[in-house]
Parts: sequence; structure tokens; C-alpha cells
Amino acid sequence: MKSELSAYLAKQLPSDDGVAISNLARIPGGASRETWLFDASWTESGAPQTAALVLRKDPPASLVESDRAVEYAFYSAFHGTEVPVPAMRWLESDSRDLGAPFFIMDRITVGETNVRNLSEPPYATSRPMIGRRMFEVLGAIHRFDWSSSEIAPVVAAPTCESAWGEQVGYWEEMVARNEISPQPIVRAAIRWLRRNPPPPAQRVSVIHGDYRVGNFLYSAEGIHGVLDWEMAHLGDPLEDFAWACHELWDRSLISKEQSIEVYEQASGLKVEADALHWWDVFTGVKAQGIWLTGAKSFDDGRSPELMLAYAAYMLTNATDEALLRSLGRGA
Amino acid sequence: MKPEPQKVLGTMAGALAMLSPEIASAFGQQTSGLSAALAMVLAQEWDRAASRLVEENVRVTGLLERSRLVIRDELLHARIDGVVERIPAIDLRVSALQAENDELRRLLTDVHATVDGAEGAESELLNRLIWDELRESTRRRHLVAVR
Repeated sequence: MKSELSAYLAKQLPSDDGVAISNLARIPGGASRETWLFDASWTESGAPQTAALVLRKDPPASLVESDRAVEYAFYSAFHGTEVPVPAMRWLESDSRDLGAPFFIMDRITVGETNVRNLSEPPYATSRPMIGRRMFEVLGAIHRFDWSSSEIAPVVAAPTCESAWGEQVGYWEEMVARNEISPQPIVRAAIRWLRRNPPPPAQRVSVIHGDYRVGNFLYSAEGIHGVLDWEMAHLGDPLEDFAWACHELWDRSLISKEQSIEVYEQASGLKVEADALHWWDVFTGVKAQGIWLTGAKSFDDGRSPELMLAYAAYMLTNATDEALLRSLGRGA
Repeated sequence: MKPEPQKVLGTMAGALAMLSPEIASAFGQQTSGLSAALAMVLAQEWDRAASRLVEENVRVTGLLERSRLVIRDELLHARIDGVVERIPAIDLRVSALQAENDELRRLLTDVHATVDGAEGAESELLNRLIWDELRESTRRRHLVAVR
């Protein structure tokens, strides 16, 4: 891929004589788009130039079926705002250059995403600060005026009343389409969600869709970049808040009460207990939909990503257990 | 089979973990680590899979038999009759037990949708028993993440 990438960048950059690619490496992590880090160097009007870049390339199949142009629009919209994101460079829907559609963005070179490291001693004193920043940034995402941004033309907006139903419908469809074996617990959860609808959204906001520890770059100085916007859409902000706090991945950087306090102040919204509980149950349904989609991709042979099989084995039952607890049916 | 498969899988996992520091790329190390973790998961499942499925198939069949007293929908009733009155095949391969399990749990899901939230003592009792079984099903499937 190195030569193809070099050839592509030579077309995009005003280089005197081509672009050299170095340190090209695929990074581990999620099983949706392939993520590659690399450095580019070229000469421009005789002056040497370098750039640290990230390539996000579509796989044959993944945990999440999403549109890279939409992901690109979300990143672009937030660049330069109080929500730190990488700067976007190029979006290609054509497979000709690299064998699959892709986009390239600048690389944020400070911070890490490693979930376990947050529990290690270097972060002992800064964990609470990172926890507060996590929910301040989330509040900023939900306060953002998307209506006049790159997002509006590419994403359908629900109403405050329809937001919950559209999401339940989407994930119910994903479960139905992808379940390899029957899923009685998530089916029961979907029935509960429909029978007990939440209050209307306080506003229709940008929803990151997978906002949690592991999807932002952090250091002892704070949060440097929010990543993985592939499930971003418009909807009820409590969807994101409940997701960020869910027991499946919560690292309890700060207490739930502190999370709510920080988020309410940052977003201008209220976190009502009943509504939060509903979105907590929804989080389990959505998570199950994600694991099942990946499992089917692996089972069908469309993807060899071992992460999909691991998620299917370890997370589908853990999510069922979490759903039972959230429905008051746990052990 | 001796040595026991779970022992072989455990040793494979250890070998992969030992190799991991020698792999240059972070992606390669993750792939090696995932392979090791999956081997340990399969080691857990190898020993218990047949037992888990037999136990669950018996319990779900029992619930479906009970549901015949509650379910009024003719089509659903006929599906339940077709399953509980079938002479069980003696095929203890995990694939055969899994296929039976899928059929039984598909039917259980539809029965649950009918009684979940329905009024009446019999429906409420069946609903409670189904929830008990679903809770037990997660206990049977629980896997320990080995690092």
C-alpha cells in the first residue's frame, strides 16, 4: 500500500518530485475502519515539508456499517471549535487509489487512548481532571450548533419526539438482520423500550455515538482529540451520556453524580433519572446490535478480524447480563 | 482425546503470549494477543459446551411444554406442539445440540413476546419463569477473560 499511498499524495500535495511515506503502520483497536499511521515528506518549491497523517480505510465488512463521508463531515464540523478533533485532509469515495474508499487526516501527536493506562500511577492525580474534561467536552459536543455546519446536508435530523424511536427502530433492524442465533434478552429489552418511551429530547444534538474512555486522546494535561466518529448522527444527547457512563466500559474516572453535575453545566441540559435509565437500557440494545453485526461479518467470512470473534464471545453475554440488570431482572 | 484439548489450547495461548514481545508491530501484537485470548475462551467452552446445551435444551423444552397451557395463538401453539412432541434425536455433537438450541430459543423468544406484560396469573407466572431461565442462560454462557 505504501507505493499507492505515495502516488495518491503526490497528486494531492504541491510536491516538487513526489511524496515519500515512512513509518506506515496499522494500529490496533476497533474492528470498523482500518486505521493506519504514517509520515509523509516532500519538497515544495525547494523547501522540505513533513506531515504526520492518519489513513482511515474501509474494510470489506466491520462491526459498524457507516458512511465515511458522514464521519468526515462530523470531524470537519468540529475542527477549530472547543471540541478537539484532528484536521481533515482528503476524502475519497473511489476505491481506485487504495483498493477501498478512505479519508486522510492530520495526526494529533500528543496523548494516548489506552484504557488500562488511565488506571496506572502516572495518571493517579490527573484521573479526576480527565474525567471532568470528558464530560465537559461531551457537553460542548451537545451544545454545538450543527444546523449551519457541514453536518446538516449529509445527516437526516430527527425531531425531539422522534429521536428515541428512530434509534430503537434502527438497532432493532440491525439485531434482526445480524443475529446468528436467537436473542431473547435483547428482544425483551426492545419490547421494554417501546412500552416505556422516554421523554422527548431536550434538543436535537450531534451524537458522537461511541463516546467513552478509549475514544479520546488524553494526557496528564487533559483531552487532546475526540476520535472514532463513525457512528455519529443527530439525536437525543442523553444517548451519548448514558453510553459514556455504561457499566460495560465505564472506568469511573469521577463519580456518576459528578459526571452529571459537570455534564449539566457544560451542556445546559438536565439529566433526569428516568430518561437516563431508558437510555441505559438502550445502550445495551445498541451494544448488542454492534457485537451481532460484527459476529455475522466474521461468521459469513466477510471479515477475518479476530476482534469481531472476541467481541462476539466475550461481549454478547456480558451485554445480556448488563441488560438483565438494567431491566431489574439481574441476579 | 488426550492430551485434553483445553490443555492444548491453553498451551497455545501461552506460546502466543510468549511470542508477542518479539512481534514488531502494534497491530501484530494485538493479533497475537487476541489469538491467545480466543484460545483460552475456546478452552473454557470446549469442556462445557455439550453439557451447557443439553441442560438448556431440557429446560427450555420444559418451559415450552408449560406454555401450551397459556398460549392461545393457534400458529404459535402448533409450533410449540411440533417441537415438544418430537422424539428427540440422539445426536450429541455440539453442532446438532446448537441447532436444537437455536430452534428452542427462537420459539421461546416468541412465547416470551406473547406473555411478557400480559395479564393473568398463568401468563405472569410463565413470564417470571422465562426471565429466570434467561438469567440462568447468561450464567451458563459466562466466560472468564483470561489475560
